[in-house]
Amino acid sequence: MTPKKHVLDYSYYPGCSLHASGREYDISTRALFKALNMGLKEVPGWFCCGATPAHNVDELLSLSLCAKNLSLAETVEGDLAVACAACFSRLKTTQHHLKGDEAKRKQVEKAIDGPAALGKPVKHILEILARDFGLARLEGNVKKPLMGLKVACYYGCLLTRPPEVPDLDDCEDPSIMEDILRALGAEPVKWSHRMECCGANFTLSRPGVVLKLSNAILESAQAADADCIMVACPLCHGNLDIRQQGIKEKYAPEVTLMGNIFGSDQKQGNSDGGEPRRETPIFYVTQLAALAMGAPTDKLGLESIIIDPMPLLREKKLL
Amino acid sequence: MHLSNETMNVGFVKKVEALSGTSVRRCFQCGKCSAGCPMAAFMEHPPNRIVRLLQLGQWERVLAGRSIWYCASCETCSTRCPNKVNLASIMDALRKLSWDADGPSKESYVQLANRLFIENIRTYGRQYELRLGAAFNLKSGQFLKDLMLGPKLLARGKLKMFHSKNKNLPEIEAIFSRIEEMRKKGEAL
Repeated sequence: MTPKKHVLDYSYYPGCSLHASGREYDISTRALFKALNMGLKEVPGWFCCGATPAHNVDELLSLSLCAKNLSLAETVEGDLAVACAACFSRLKTTQHHLKGDEAKRKQVEKAIDGPAALGKPVKHILEILARDFGLARLEGNVKKPLMGLKVACYYGCLLTRPPEVPDLDDCEDPSIMEDILRALGAEPVKWSHRMECCGANFTLSRPGVVLKLSNAILESAQAADADCIMVACPLCHGNLDIRQQGIKEKYAPEVTLMGNIFGSDQKQGNSDGGEPRRETPIFYVTQLAALAMGAPTDKLGLESIIIDPMPLLREKKLL
Repeated sequence: MHLSNETMNVGFVKKVEALSGTSVRRCFQCGKCSAGCPMAAFMEHPPNRIVRLLQLGQWERVLAGRSIWYCASCETCSTRCPNKVNLASIMDALRKLSWDADGPSKESYVQLANRLFIENIRTYGRQYELRLGAAFNLKSGQFLKDLMLGPKLLARGKLKMFHSKNKNLPEIEAIFSRIEEMRKKGEAL
């Protein structure tokens, strides 16, 4: 049988995290695109977009790094698919700024010694799924509905803010993740911390910030009775998953026998005095989507998640 | 607060406005930025006070503290400002001016992390996370920081021991040097 023609074709900018600490996002994105018969071709020789540290102290450097990557992307056909929320934000910000500011564009073109290629549509995986591929077609392709799985959709900062840049969804009350999740047969929960910051790249410099902010997110998801959290950003995933045990030790330590006997005033369980903190598995949207599309479960990078998601998936009969 | 010609620096404020492409005079101090700021609790000056201090030309107070380095760039302030003051860009501009002047800020860890991250781009092209973490611990003197996480991440393939250099490294180096050159000639801020 000759291979079928792809239904859609994309160029692909994975970003640094997807080749390292967020490897399962890359693995599951590829598995999902394969399952949906969409083409995904990595931009050859792409390099770091500069992320937050570059624009933090040197906007011209940040814009130039992104502009060069955008012109590398021109060598591959198809709209540019981006999975990382930070890369997505930086690439879109660069297009937005340089289209509207000729003086800045000239500086950047001098820095990269060539024209700034601003025409290629940069698309986040979420909008490719919900709009390009389409929710109805997505639902029609589901082989294993995620029945009974209660999911807290976590947007974080850069997928929707500032409103004039990403053009992905409403900047205060988005629904694109919930829409996708419903198409997959899962149940999105209503909760309060969908758009709150996780502490982002303070994970390197000031991890205490991440512990505090991400603790509030985990606490809120548990209060809403979510089985798990779904994210679309490798930094959010790292903070909620890799730092989760540290967060629990600091803010919701286990009740100890000695503490019970001697009436320790150590804070127990959740800070609202409710049930003790559960472990909350953190999934990438592509992992849940590929799982629902019937992709082989050993090809989703599930083994890379620190908070083991297997007991939950077995309980919900999704493995 | 004592206002005088000595403490006010209007030239500095104009530089901030030019770099950020936004006007601090548009702010009428409603405080929405600070109300939504996830990092305000960590700052000695919340975002709306930063703008107020800029309106009054109090550049030293703005730069001296750690506030500008504790901004997470979450863009909540810029999103919610009723007067379209792009506070996230103002924070970028303040950090750049402080950075260039090797400013009086007390917050060294965030600056160190930024410096190492940018150096990593110049040396490798893509981030080499293991080196980034190790260099941060070494240079900040926190040798044991996150040490227990290392083996877990390695076992799950999340940290790579070795990292190959990007094939566009000469082009990346050229971007860095052209920008340095442009700044020397005064063609860019």
